[in-house]
Amino acid sequence: MKTKQLTTCAILAALALALSYVEGMFPLPVPLPGFKLGLANIVTLFALYTLGAPPALAILLVRVLLGAMFAGNASALIYSLLGGFCAMLVMIGLSRIHKLSVYGVSVGGAAAHNAGQVAAAMLTLGSATPAVYLPVLLIVAVFSGALTGFVCSLLLGRRLFRLWAK
Amino acid sequence: MSGSPKLVPTKYDALVVLIVLALAVALGARYWFAPAREAAEIIVSIGGVEAERLTFDDSEYDYTNNGYTVHVTVRAGSVRVDHADCPTQDCVRTGAISRPGQSIVCLPARIILTIEGAAAPDYDAIAG
Repeated sequence: MKTKQLTTCAILAALALALSYVEGMFPLPVPLPGFKLGLANIVTLFALYTLGAPPALAILLVRVLLGAMFAGNASALIYSLLGGFCAMLVMIGLSRIHKLSVYGVSVGGAAAHNAGQVAAAMLTLGSATPAVYLPVLLIVAVFSGALTGFVCSLLLGRRLFRLWAK
Repeated sequence: MSGSPKLVPTKYDALVVLIVLALAVALGARYWFAPAREAAEIIVSIGGVEAERLTFDDSEYDYTNNGYTVHVTVRAGSVRVDHADCPTQDCVRTGAISRPGQSIVCLPARIILTIEGAAAPDYDAIAG
């Protein structure tokens, strides 16, 4: 691994951690357990496209583990781990389909993330009740996934930098 | 790494969206299109085990599990979590529920309140 790649990974992991931390500080006024915009997914998606699957997975792991430590809530670890890994697997798979744009990959990842979190809730609660939330969470994932896909397309296309240059 | 990624939505992206929405409808159909029934009881599940069944009379309860306490208020036909000392507050934000199949979930305390209908065993088997 080159120094540049290592540094990029570290910066992206820090960025993902900051995004998920800030997001956790402002819970959305929606009565949906576990519902988040998934801003840290922007970083995962960006890393997947620019660095490849293994570094993206490493960044995800660092973010999830440090995030649980920062939140001081180890019981939340299983939610972010399962959600994060489901999203990662689906996004790796979908990103190989070259007919899909970042939007499709992002929406698929967001849906998988929510499904993984519901599965984690079912596991910890020992009950099928959280499955009731899955349909709504899937619909919401289309919107949150499109949002993260949009931000990621800006970053990948470097249109953002052109905006700044004006 | 994977070449130059497409940055503009394609029609195949719409396919992904359609699949996700179709999944949502397929999974949600049994909840949304379930026949209307009268709410009969509130099942209190703590740590995955049914702990108590409440009837809809004016009363208040405190449940403590996993180091968190939730305060439950039952009124005629509805139930809500008034306050809880958990960090997420999802249960409080859920508000009052009144229809069979609806539930209030408190993940940190691992407490679930589910309204059970008068009859329809197959549906309740799914909702747990």
